[in-house]
This record gives sequence, structure tokens and C-alpha cells, in this order.
Amino acid sequence: MTTRLSLNAISKTFGKADNQTVVLRDISFSLDAGEFLAIEGPSGSGKSTLLNICGLIDHATHGDYYLNGTPVSQLSNRGRCACRRRKIGFIFQRHQLIPAMTVYDNIAYPLQLNNVKAKQIKHDVAQLLTTMGLEHRRNHHPYQLSGGERQRVGIARALIKRPQLVIADEPSASLDHTHAQAGLQLMRELNQTYGASFLIASHDPLVINHCDRKLTLLHGFLADPV
Amino acid sequence: MNGPLIALRNILRDGTRVISTLLIIATGLTALLVSGGFMLSTYDSLQEITMRTEGHLIVIDDTPDPLLGGSHQQLSLSNWQTIRESLWNDDRVLRVLPRARFEGVVSKGNRSAVFFGSGVDPKEEFRVHGPFLRTTAVLDPWPTSSQRAEVMLGVQLARTLDATSGDLLTLHAVRSNGESAEAVVRLVGLYQNGTPAIDNHTLMVTLSTSAALMGSDNISQLSIYLDKKEESAALQHSLQASIDGVTVQSWQQRATLYHKVKSLYDRIFGVMAVIILTVVFLAITNTISLAIYQRRSEIATLSALGTPPPQIYANFILEAFIISIAATTLGMLLAYAISHAINLAEIMMPAPPGKTEGYPIFIYISWHHYLVTSLVLIGIVILASLRSTCRAAKINIARAIS
Repeated sequence: MTTRLSLNAISKTFGKADNQTVVLRDISFSLDAGEFLAIEGPSGSGKSTLLNICGLIDHATHGDYYLNGTPVSQLSNRGRCACRRRKIGFIFQRHQLIPAMTVYDNIAYPLQLNNVKAKQIKHDVAQLLTTMGLEHRRNHHPYQLSGGERQRVGIARALIKRPQLVIADEPSASLDHTHAQAGLQLMRELNQTYGASFLIASHDPLVINHCDRKLTLLHGFLADPV
Repeated sequence: MNGPLIALRNILRDGTRVISTLLIIATGLTALLVSGGFMLSTYDSLQEITMRTEGHLIVIDDTPDPLLGGSHQQLSLSNWQTIRESLWNDDRVLRVLPRARFEGVVSKGNRSAVFFGSGVDPKEEFRVHGPFLRTTAVLDPWPTSSQRAEVMLGVQLARTLDATSGDLLTLHAVRSNGESAEAVVRLVGLYQNGTPAIDNHTLMVTLSTSAALMGSDNISQLSIYLDKKEESAALQHSLQASIDGVTVQSWQQRATLYHKVKSLYDRIFGVMAVIILTVVFLAITNTISLAIYQRRSEIATLSALGTPPPQIYANFILEAFIISIAATTLGMLLAYAISHAINLAEIMMPAPPGKTEGYPIFIYISWHHYLVTSLVLIGIVILASLRSTCRAAKINIARAIS
């Protein structure tokens, strides 16, 4: 099995010398291609910080991070931006849809960023809208959607470019049980279809039980390192 | 994704703030265009006055009199008739008017006053001055058919002398050789142009009357009036090269008042423009900064999705550009409407320094002026938005999303 992501002794500290807060301490683990990995832990345990580092939107203070075997910890901002654009999909806790864009535009945006041809974008978005049951919402704006619909659009946006790695932060936080289950089912189907690896932070048992494996973070430490 | 459409939607999301910014920019532009239009019309009027008073080109003798400390004799241009005849063949020339300057004392009975006189071609003289030299109480079209010497006085000079049309006056002058001379002339009319220096102290006689009084056929200057003022420079050079012993001056060299007023207005307008452009700069900086602050989570999301920073900046600059286009369009329409209304209302300005009469405000509507001012304003808006969007680069993605 190919290793998609590998963290080696990652630490994250906020603040300056005399007023430091250590959020992550010596975190090491790896994620295989196509794997569904949950990171659980109470609030403030460092789950979101770990996801941010894995998603290249935050820097580790110490340690090495490899994506597809390539070291990415020392990449420039430009390199990190390009890496996120091509290889990583994000499912945010609060959807983070762009208000000025329609459902169609929100989902199509990652493909446009990657200069995919318009015809291909049209085809892929239409297909995913159907899969997600959102075709009747394609021209609606985020404020016109329910919480569940927004989360589905967020999932579609993360998966449309078929990323190698999907980072999901509390994907079920704004969903009721039915919608959460449907969302997870969808992510699993797309995982199986596209072979993406999923790194999901959650303390929802429904989500954790749905994953292949789980890691527990407690006060910045990995409780059961792999 | 349609960039301008997304930018427009973002603008409409911030409706109230955008409208206030738009109104600030539009009002600033309107102020610049209306005041600029007033300045342009003032410059044009002053140019017109100078050109009508002095001519587009002025030919004077170039030999200074050593006895006058380097100044010219008042009646020193001798070959003017030859020059005038040669100019009549030039299609660019409309009129060539001789003017003989002299001064002395004019008296009526026991009243007398110092005068500055001009010997002129009466018919042409009043024609070229047009609305800037109005005649009143003229007995007949001047010169009348009478063989007697005749004079036109500035209205205030006539009041000083208590003279009315038909009265006989005596002109006393000193010739260049030191002889005193006098002539009895009949007052045939009055003129005024609202400048005390002219209305209080000047008079005009025919060229033959001034020649008889001063004992010389020489004149002070030949004023050349052209069909198009743009041809002044070319004709000035060719005349200067072809006629010996004279200096050919352009109207700009005689336009002291025009240059002084232009310099003053340029400074006033410059200060006003700086203030207005600063207000616009601050307004747009405030709008874009607030937009960035309110949309920092959205900016962070775009960054997380891999949007290159220049593309994020471009979105905000595009929004600022759209606001500036809407604001400048509104500003131009407002300026056009206000200028038009002021021109139709014929609002009178108070008399400026050195004048006794006010004048109607006229605002020029120059599309060139509108375009250049609007482009400068749009440039300022883009600059302000560039400055503000630099803040977007400092947004911490992780913190803004969480």
C-alpha cells in the first residue's frame, strides 16, 4: 500500500518564549492511499491544528511532513498554495462556501483553479451534482440552502478535483444524524470511486466508527501512536 | 466563473457602505469637474480678452531709445503701412490694426484730467473688442461724416469732465521733440469695459487725429488678428524672420493678467484636487479594508483551496474598479447637469479685483477634462484598493477559518 501522508515528530507551539502554548507534541503517524483515518479527541486537544498542518495551511514548529513521499514542511508559501490547489481537498466544519458564488460555481471553482477545460468542468460538476442530489440547487446561493445541503456542496467542492488527500474537520458538526450518515456514506462512496485518502477530525462516534482506523489526541499528544 | 459577476455580487452584499463610498467619489468628481469647468472658462475668457485687446500678434519697433533708459519711444514704428500691406495677402490674417499710443491732459472748460489715448481705426477697433468694450451715447456711427476731429471717452473720464456727446474738448499733449500741442475734438460717444483704469483714464481718436496732434505718422504697434489662434506661433516666426527692425510678440507675451490668474487658479485647484483625491483615497481604503476584514474567512477559504494571492487581490481590485466606474459615471452625469443648470441660470459673479462689474458664471463642459479627471480618480481608487488588499496577504488562514 502506498503511503499518502507521513508525519515525523511534528510539534506546534504558539506564542513567544516566555508565554508559549504547546499544542502538538512529537506527533508521528502515516496515512495510506485510500485510507479513512479518524482523529478523535476532546475540544482543545489539537485536532484542528493537526489538520491545518496536514492540509498545509499552517506550519509545524518542528518535525517533518511528507506527502506522497515528498517533504513538504519546508515548501515556500507559493509551493504550499500550489500543493493545496492540486492535491488536497478540504471539508470545513462550517462549510466555508463562497457567498457570492452559486452552488455550481462553488463546486467548479477548484477545477477552474487547476485550469481544467470548461467542457470537462461542466461535465464533472453536473455528474457530482446528480450524485449529491443537488442538481435542482445548481443556481442557488449558499444562503438559500439548508445546513445539510451546504455540507454536501462543501463535500462536492472538496472531491470534484479528485484530490489525493481530503482533510475534513468535524464534517458532521452542523448536520443531524440522518444527514451526517448520508454525508459519510457519500464520502465513503467517493473514497472508493476516486481512491482519495481521508483524514477526518471528529468527536462524533458516528464518524469515528465509519473510519478504517482512529487516532486519539489528548493534550497535544497522540495517545496511541501508529 | 465570471469574475466581474462575482465582484458585482460581492459589491451588492455591502450595499450601504458601497453606496456611501460611491457617493463620496461621485461628489468629489463632480466638485473637480464643475470647478475645473469654471477655471477653463475663466482661462478662455482671459485669453479672449487679451487676444481681442492686443491682437494675436503684435508688431513693435525693436530699437530702444537710449534716452528712455532702454525703453521704446511710444510712436516709433515707422514702416507699418508697408508691413500692413504685405500682411493683407496672407490668408491666415483677418485684420491688421494700427495703434498710436499717446498721453496728455484733456479739458472741458475749467475741468481737466490726465488721459492715456489711442489713435485707432475706429470701425475695426470696436469690432475686434466685441463684448469687452461696449459703447454708449454714440452720436452716429463713428467716425461721423463731419470733418471735425472727434473723440470717444471712457465713461468715467467723461463723468470727471462732466462731458456729454456733442461737447467740444481740448487735448493737450507733448510731442517727442518737446513741443506742446493741442487739438479741439468733438465728443461723439462713450465706451466702457468695467476696468477702472480704462473707463477712468482712456480715450480714442482716429489715427489721423492722433498723427496731427503728435506731429508724427508713426504708430506704437500693429495688432494682427488671425483666423485661428493656433496659427500664431508659425506666423510669428515667419514674420520675425522676414521683417527687419521689428519685434513680433505673441498674445501670450502680453497676457500678464491671464498668466497671473491662471497661476493663482492652478494653485487653488491643485490644493482642492489634492484634498478631494485624499478623501477619495481614504474612503476607498476604508471600504476595501472593511470588506477584507468582514470577508477574511472567505479569503482564507480561497487561499486554502489554493487560490494564488494575486488572484485574491485581483478580486478586490476588480470590485474597487467597478465601484469607481459607477461612481465616475454618476459624477460625470451630476457635473454635466449642474454645469448645464448654472450656465442656463446666468448666475452673476461679483466684480473681481480691478473691475467694476461682475460677470455671469459659465462652466465649460469639456469631455477631455471629464475623461482625464475620471481616469485620475479611477487610478487613485485602484491605488487605494491595492494598498488595502496588501492586508489580505497577512491573513492567517488557519485562524480565519477556525
